[in-house]
Amino acid sequence: MNRAFLIIAGLILWALPAGCGPDPAEEKPAAPPAESAPTAPAAAHGSRAHPVTAQTRQTYQFYCAQCHGTEGHGNGINAPYLTVPPRDHTKADYLETRSDEYLFTAIQKGGLAVGRAPCMPSWEYTLDKDTIHSLVSYIRELCRCEAL
Amino acid sequence: MNNPKHFFLTGVFLVIAVTGSAGAMAAPALVKEKQCDTCHRFASGPAEKEQYGPDLFFAGDKFQKKWLENFLQHPEAIRPAGHTRDPGFLKGQRRTEPHPVLNSQETRQMTDYLMSLKTLKESPPLNLPALSKGARVRVKILFERDYSCIACHQSYNLAGLPRGGVSGPSLLDAGNRLRPEWVYQWLKNPKAFATQGRMPLYRFDEETLKQLTQYIMSHTKDDPGQ
Ligand code: HEC
Ligand code: HEC
Ligand code: HEC
Repeated sequence: MNRAFLIIAGLILWALPAGCGPDPAEEKPAAPPAESAPTAPAAAHGSRAHPVTAQTRQTYQFYCAQCHGTEGHGNGINAPYLTVPPRDHTKADYLETRSDEYLFTAIQKGGLAVGRAPCMPSWEYTLDKDTIHSLVSYIRELCRCEAL
Repeated sequence: MNNPKHFFLTGVFLVIAVTGSAGAMAAPALVKEKQCDTCHRFASGPAEKEQYGPDLFFAGDKFQKKWLENFLQHPEAIRPAGHTRDPGFLKGQRRTEPHPVLNSQETRQMTDYLMSLKTLKESPPLNLPALSKGARVRVKILFERDYSCIACHQSYNLAGLPRGGVSGPSLLDAGNRLRPEWVYQWLKNPKAFATQGRMPLYRFDEETLKQLTQYIMSHTKDDPGQ
């Protein structure tokens, strides 16, 4: 009987659309692209147009760490409750497949706007463009990677 | 003012004027006695480091009186991860000392005081109609999908079970706890209450604002299934 329950529970979990809520309207976010090259060498961040400042790090801690964790590992306090885990910003193998523009749009317009999970909110009205650019630089620092 | 009688009368008048105008607004000695102000702010301004309790200087705008009376006698956790100013907030290590408990007489006095603390210049009653079934579906999708609210706030799933993130205050009993007028103002302009919060800023149109408010107000512990 326990076994049957587990199987049913498993089926239900499997059938849940990947998203922030179990609504039928939710589309499954695009699967991450196939990984390829090994970790890229750490880039020269100093040369970025929008450098990482103390303010950038503070912004990340204040807003992003709730989900992405204080060190960007995707293990913030909300993480256990989300149907799609927050992206691990220290993992190069995914982030190097994404352009800076893509990361900018994901932050500014939210997960849905780039075909990913809605649990990633839009920060368009909270953060100005320069701050978002500097957050992209910070994520590049965390993953020690650049777009391929 | 050379007439001593005048002087006396003016004095009496002054005393009445001062106590009268301060009246309900004067912090009762109870606030100091119970040290509520070591954890809570009763006036806006910069927060002290140790003040890791929610701001109360707009308590009269925010809370329903009945809920407040109950909370002061039977405090409950609302923010599963603690307040955002709690030093352990991001680490999942909220402070866990028990909240002070007031007796019924203290509660009456404290509730009257808290309900007198307001920042909204005016807050006309909202009188929102109940959500139609269609509107409810629309706003639930907004709450759980388009606006990611559920990623930070506990709400109910279709089976009436709690689900959602923990960095924001739980909304499970919002319908008993909060005043709809305040929820509406919070969603419209949270900066009126907190200069900087960890919740993203949104720009809702008037209809969405009202529907979101109504949706939040429909969350109660007594009727989680709806
Ligand atoms: C409420 C939780 C939450 C908060 C707060 C949050 N994120 Fe996210 N974020 C997510 C989730 C969940 C994903 C994964 C989306 C997916 O994989 O479909 C994500 C993904 C991302 C991505 C990668 C998009 C992709 O392709 O997966 C970036 C970049 C990102 N977040 C940056 C940020 C930044 C910068 C902040 C702070 C301004 C932030 N996030 C705040 C939940 C959150
Ligand atoms: C040791 C610190 C501390 C003291 C002292 C304290 N509080 Fe609190 N109070 C808190 C914290 C922390 C919360 C938030 C609990 C939660 O959300 O889980 C809270 C919540 C509240 C709330 C609900 C507010 C909201 O926005 O949810 C009220 C009302 C309140 N306290 C009133 C008082 C009063 C009145 C006193 C004095 C009798 C007092 N508190 C003393 C820490 C304290
Ligand atoms: C990234 C996390 C996050 C998201 C997304 C989010 N909130 Fe919040 N919300 C918070 C936090 C944290 C607070 C506490 C105040 C603060 O720090 O800003 C809060 C406060 C609130 C409050 C006041 C509750 C109280 O008791 O003080 C309401 C109501 C609310 N949010 C509703 C919403 C709605 C509706 C949405 C979606 C449109 C939403 N929130 C999206 C984090 C979030």
